[in-house]
Amino acid sequence: MDDVAVADAALRYAGVSVGYHGTPVLTDVNLELAAGERLALVGPNGAGKSTLVKSILGLVPVLAGTPTVLGRTPSRARTQTGYVPQTDSLDADFPVTAGQVVMMGRYRRIGWWRPTRSADRRAVHEALERLGLADHARTHFGVLSGGQRQRVLLARAIAAEPRLLLLDEPFNGVDAVSQEAILAVLRELSTVGTALVLSTHDLTVARELADTVCLLNGRQWAVGPPAETLTAETLRRAYGGHAIELRDGRTVLVEP
Amino acid sequence: MNWWDNALHRAAAEVLLVGALAGLIGVHVVLRRLSFFTMALTHATFPGVVAASIIGVNIVLGGVIAGAIVALGVAALSRSRSQNAAAATGVMLSGGFALGAGLVATQNGFSRDLTSFLVGSILTVSPQDLVTTAVALVVVAAVLLACARPLRYTGFDRVGARAAGFTTVVWDVVLLLTIQVVVVTIVPAVGTILALALIVAPAAAARQWSHRLRTITALAVTFGALSGLGGLYASSRWNVAAGASITLTATAVLALSTVLSRLTNARLRTVGSSRAVPA
Amino acid sequence: MIEPFTVPFMGRALAELALLALICGPVSVLVFARRLSFVSDALTHTVFPGVVIGFLVGGTEGIVVGALIAGVVTAVVLTLLTSGGTLPDDASIAVVLTAMFSIGVVLVSRRSSYTSDLTSFLFGRILTVTPRQVAETAVLAVVILGLLLMTARALIFRTFDPVGAAAAGFRIAWLDLWLNIIVALVVVAAVRAVGTILVVALLIVPAAAARMLTDRLPVMAAIGTGLILLAAYGGLLASWNASVDYGVSLTSASAVVLLLVLAYLLLLPLGALRLRHRRTRTAPQGRTSPHELVG
Repeated sequence: MDDVAVADAALRYAGVSVGYHGTPVLTDVNLELAAGERLALVGPNGAGKSTLVKSILGLVPVLAGTPTVLGRTPSRARTQTGYVPQTDSLDADFPVTAGQVVMMGRYRRIGWWRPTRSADRRAVHEALERLGLADHARTHFGVLSGGQRQRVLLARAIAAEPRLLLLDEPFNGVDAVSQEAILAVLRELSTVGTALVLSTHDLTVARELADTVCLLNGRQWAVGPPAETLTAETLRRAYGGHAIELRDGRTVLVEP
Repeated sequence: MNWWDNALHRAAAEVLLVGALAGLIGVHVVLRRLSFFTMALTHATFPGVVAASIIGVNIVLGGVIAGAIVALGVAALSRSRSQNAAAATGVMLSGGFALGAGLVATQNGFSRDLTSFLVGSILTVSPQDLVTTAVALVVVAAVLLACARPLRYTGFDRVGARAAGFTTVVWDVVLLLTIQVVVVTIVPAVGTILALALIVAPAAAARQWSHRLRTITALAVTFGALSGLGGLYASSRWNVAAGASITLTATAVLALSTVLSRLTNARLRTVGSSRAVPA
Repeated sequence: MIEPFTVPFMGRALAELALLALICGPVSVLVFARRLSFVSDALTHTVFPGVVIGFLVGGTEGIVVGALIAGVVTAVVLTLLTSGGTLPDDASIAVVLTAMFSIGVVLVSRRSSYTSDLTSFLFGRILTVTPRQVAETAVLAVVILGLLLMTARALIFRTFDPVGAAAAGFRIAWLDLWLNIIVALVVVAAVRAVGTILVVALLIVPAAAARMLTDRLPVMAAIGTGLILLAAYGGLLASWNASVDYGVSLTSASAVVLLLVLAYLLLLPLGALRLRHRRTRTAPQGRTSPHELVG
């Protein structure tokens, strides 16, 4: 792509408020993310994590401020952002194979008309292989386990070769093997310059994976490295008193 | 004598075409859970057809216009999440039905027309009906083929499809309008009940056999055409209404598919596991 | 404006519709909340073979019994199929609808008065309702209202929180069957007099229209009943005037339905306004099924 876009930050939110029907879900979000950086959105259920992710895709109305994604408006940047939805938001009964789902990641390049090329098929195969699912290309999506489904959806996003990858609660209902496979791939991606944004309520994952943590609950409570943001004090404020500090200095959350 | 001059020959050709057309669109109706929408369309296009025949314009045109209004209305209502879309569809169904029936009743000899609207009159199809159905088959097949990828993506994962840059509303409307074209084409020839049966039953039967869209579509078209021919044969053999016997044949195909696919699946599973043990 | 109803058959027609208004108001609220529009539509078609068989076996007297049996059979089959999960719910309903109706058509197609039978099934014979039929409807109305009142709390609980209701010890499948049977009873009570076109409308439109004015279920039921009464009065009057004054044959069933639909359309913007007024902070919820456009 053009050099200007490459030089731009992956994500820049300045005083952004987003919401539905004129009612804000999140107010005054300020973020900055460079290529190859990993950002975790942390907060309780209903904090607005998914809404923020969808706003990066341009799927939620912006009420105030200017969001910039890869140097453009969110909806214009969609060609270069990848998205991994929550598995329960889709129809597992739909007759598609894992390979076909991953091929969906290539649709934007292929267009909706031309036949697939060997480059597309290779990209699909490689994406499945990276997630340890090369044998499952012809398996019906609906018979895969929750963790396998999540891996297929990540493979679909990778097959599109995005510069910014968004993941909405990627570890919900995911087994340990799948979680490790996903984490490994995410680390690899960031070393080659793909910026990552993932929403999670798992503080351990956020600590392990993220360079930057953004603590949300209706608004942005803290943003910065995990060591500074995931402290007992900020968590207690953001979660409203449901964070408990353990003796070893770690913090756990007691969700109401 | 020309082969086409025989009413039964024409009827056989028509059920083949209608079965294939219905099977083709039925796959999408079943996967997207649009059976009620389809039923509502059959009734809501009715006043358009009647009005067109009263004014004296092409009835397919009247049906297409009425159906397009309904399809767009459903798309709009299903976007507004506060609406109970099932109720809104029901309102359109009963309103359309009442309007159509009321219009028919102002004409003379209306009970004959109403009956054929419900149960069709496949034995009286004209060569022109055949041409209309054939054209619709080609058009619908072309649309579904050309739009296969967006339709698959939006059907499987709406949010993901939007994130990937597909405008899901547009593809919803494309699908609803395609269903509408099928309904308008086949209802005047075969009636509402048979139209609904041929759209839903063969596709639901095909779904029992495969997880691959291509296979399901091929099976649905085959089942649809076979139900049509089989039902027609049964109807001439035992002298019962053709539409009803085709519907019952399609239902039997579905019932058989459900039972047989379960049995074969169960057998495959036991074979697979016994093979896995020694290895 | 009252004068046409002093003619006996007009008075009886209005009385019949008023009785149906009493039951259809509350029942339509449950149909609305449980999204049973398609089930209601299916039931109006599936009682047809019962009507035919009942008539062949027992003459006019057999119709109600036949319809009753067909209605209950449909309710059971639909409950079994939709809880089995082999097919999508809507596909099962569509198949049961078309198959049962076709059985009726096969039976009736061997009779000579085929088309007029079907027509009267569609339109009913509201203007030829006998005092005896009005009495039958009244009895059925009392029974249906009684059944409904007995179980209203459980049905409403199940509607809003199926998991909670199951946890509280309610048998969900039995409750679903129960409601399907109640809807079937309404169809049976109404179909001979007013025809399928009107029954579908009475079961779906009143609550959908009343929903624009309130979210409280009892109020919805009352408004629904009121709307049916108004539409019945207006529709019968319109069809009387059309035929007496203008010589146009406007079927009363169609006139009543069209007035109900008109009320729905007029209330539609009101509902949108109300919604805008009290919009909460919560993000909109998704559909129950990822691509369910309707139902």
